[in-house]
Amino acid sequence: MTVAIDRLFVDENDRELYDRLETTDMFAGKTRKEQFLFSLAVGFSRGIKRPIQKREGFFLAKDMTLDDEALFSAVAASDADSVEVLPDRAKVFRIAEEYAHAGIRILVDEIDSTQYGTFEKNLEKQLHDMYDRIGVATKREQSGSTPN
Amino acid sequence: MRIEKLVLRNYRQLRDVQLALDRQGPNDLHIVIGRNGTGKTNILNAINWCLYGDEPHLSKHSEQLPRLNLGCIEDAGHGGHDLQVAVEVWVKTEDGGTLIFERTETYRIGGDDKEPLRQDTHFEARVTDDKGNTKILVDDEASYCAERFVPQSIREFFFFDGERLDRYFKEATSQHIRHAVFELSQIHVLQSVEANLDTVLKDLRKDAGKANPAIEEVGDALEATEAKLAELDRQIEMCAQQKSLAEDKIAEYQEQLRGAPDAGALEEERRSLDTRNKEKRKRLEESVREKHELLFDHAIRIQVWDAIAESLSTIDEKRQKNEIPPTVDTALLEAVLQDGSCSVCGRALDESSVKHVGAVLDEIRLTSDIAKQLLNMENPLRRHAEKLGRFRGEMTKAAREIGDYEADLAAMERRKREIDAALDGYDVLRIAEWHKERSKFEETRDTNQKQLGALEARRQILTRELGELQNRLDEQLKKEAKVAELRAQISFCARALETIRGTKQAIMRDTREEIESETRRLFFALAWKSATFGDVRIDENFNISLIHSMGYECLGTASAAERELLALSFTLALHRVSGFDSPILIDTPVARVSDSHRVSFGQVLLQVSAEKQTVLLLTPAEHSDDLAQVVDARSSNRLALKLSADEREVRVEVL
Repeated sequence: MTVAIDRLFVDENDRELYDRLETTDMFAGKTRKEQFLFSLAVGFSRGIKRPIQKREGFFLAKDMTLDDEALFSAVAASDADSVEVLPDRAKVFRIAEEYAHAGIRILVDEIDSTQYGTFEKNLEKQLHDMYDRIGVATKREQSGSTPN
Repeated sequence: MRIEKLVLRNYRQLRDVQLALDRQGPNDLHIVIGRNGTGKTNILNAINWCLYGDEPHLSKHSEQLPRLNLGCIEDAGHGGHDLQVAVEVWVKTEDGGTLIFERTETYRIGGDDKEPLRQDTHFEARVTDDKGNTKILVDDEASYCAERFVPQSIREFFFFDGERLDRYFKEATSQHIRHAVFELSQIHVLQSVEANLDTVLKDLRKDAGKANPAIEEVGDALEATEAKLAELDRQIEMCAQQKSLAEDKIAEYQEQLRGAPDAGALEEERRSLDTRNKEKRKRLEESVREKHELLFDHAIRIQVWDAIAESLSTIDEKRQKNEIPPTVDTALLEAVLQDGSCSVCGRALDESSVKHVGAVLDEIRLTSDIAKQLLNMENPLRRHAEKLGRFRGEMTKAAREIGDYEADLAAMERRKREIDAALDGYDVLRIAEWHKERSKFEETRDTNQKQLGALEARRQILTRELGELQNRLDEQLKKEAKVAELRAQISFCARALETIRGTKQAIMRDTREEIESETRRLFFALAWKSATFGDVRIDENFNISLIHSMGYECLGTASAAERELLALSFTLALHRVSGFDSPILIDTPVARVSDSHRVSFGQVLLQVSAEKQTVLLLTPAEHSDDLAQVVDARSSNRLALKLSADEREVRVEVL
């Protein structure tokens, strides 16, 4: 079976979850691509990915910017622990879809378990903590990886 | 002088009424009680009609009725008869004599529902001395006699409606006082002298002008300037009156607003706070949205940072190993395979060489694709890293912005609560209206003040011009020998005029000061809360002030009873200063006085009646139990006006 790589897929059951995101201030007015990216990030940060059972097209690949594609690729390389995955666009997309599939459920659960308005606050705190952790790494990375 | 008796015949609803007001005991107090419509106010009208021929307190209803009693018209039947209205005011003079004023009016009854026709009016004063000799004075002589009892121009201070006491210091106060002082000072006598002298002076100048055209010219200019000056004085007086009225009103509103918040300004501030609040809230929402955008953006980046970092690390590593950019040209190998010969040495490729080159190409192609991908990723990933570096700064900035807006909003809410607390319990609309009114009058005062300044300046110029013209005229007169006598007369007239004007001012000032002092004395002698008040003043603009013991002006906030007390004190002061020690007759004196102050006011009237005949015309409601307890036992007479069943006649009962 030829897998189309002109679009990104979600599990058909996830569509309703993505729709529910709309009710949260932070996600109001976000595009499908942006919702997908956020879910992918959540899934990746938790290290959880789930294979999609029933694929359903979610947004078109042409809508992705270079920055978005770079994130997809980075996630795929990290997931495969090899950059060899990079030329395989279908695989890169599949990895992204699986992280997003896991991420959207986590995200909706978190939103549902908090009071209105507190999700953003919790997220902010969480990000500051993560930033503190990665901030050192970032500096280290940057100081050690500055191109000559 | 005091009124001993009032006799009314066929006068309105008082067909045959005698009110005996003889003094019995220490208080010359007489109480007449009557329901509305029983003719209390018409007793007031009857006295005025008898003494001066008019009825200033006539109600709209009474105006439509004939002066002649309706009952007697009906009893007269089919016309042809003459009927007479008569009012007698019996006065006891200080020297023990009796003075009877009588005004009669004869009417011819027309019959067939025709209006009675007035035939003639007669007014006389019968003066009986202590020896019993009677002299009958009629018309002007009788009027002169009435003037000596109570001058018509100041009668309003002797026989008046009690509501006037309440109104007196509420509106056009300074005008009222100026008028009273003017009337009392008998300034009008001086004024007529002034007017006569002025005419004489002008005539003399005209005469002098006939002798010499130069004199005539200067005389005309002088007259024109004097006319301008007179017009200017009129304008100045009007302007000063307007200013004074505005100041009265400002003082009144200031009193009402004492201690009250500036509701208008506070409401305006509240409205402005609401508007600013909406704007701020909108900006806050925008800031929150922007912060959410940042959060969303950075959340993706932070959560996949490990992947970004790894890829960047790989790129760096491969760059160090010179694996990127790719060093082998895949196009060259593809050309070798396609041509079947080496493009460097030209040797033909054998089978094993083709296999080898193909394997190398596959490996290189993959490596090259990866390198290309990594190269494509590098800049976007570095951009992500760079953006991530701004995370804390951007979030802090957004949080500060939101915090500032929230603090501003909280401050606004606090201020709104303060405003609400300040306005709580006040009639905001009314206070705002008072503020608005006060501002309006402040504007009027300021406008008039400016105008006054301009008019005064113009007056100075005109006065100077007038002086110069007078000097020129004098010089011209000196030159002309023919008018030497006229010159002396003109000079005399001018000096006399100057003296009269100065005297007028001095009398007005002295009278005002005397009234002020007497009003103060009486007020503090009569006031039941004298410690509350510090002073009573009448300034040079004839504005009266009641000063609180704390030092502020409090006439506006004084109770109706206190205000009436001040008006009464002022009225009594006028009696004293005028030298007319005549009775005081007040219709409905305590109608505006609250129940709690009625007793106090009753005691005041009792005090007044110890020295002056006091006649009170009261409604039964005014004659409340509390007031009755104070005044009844000490009154000389208590009379009740009772209306007949057909409501056309009133009889008097002694209580």
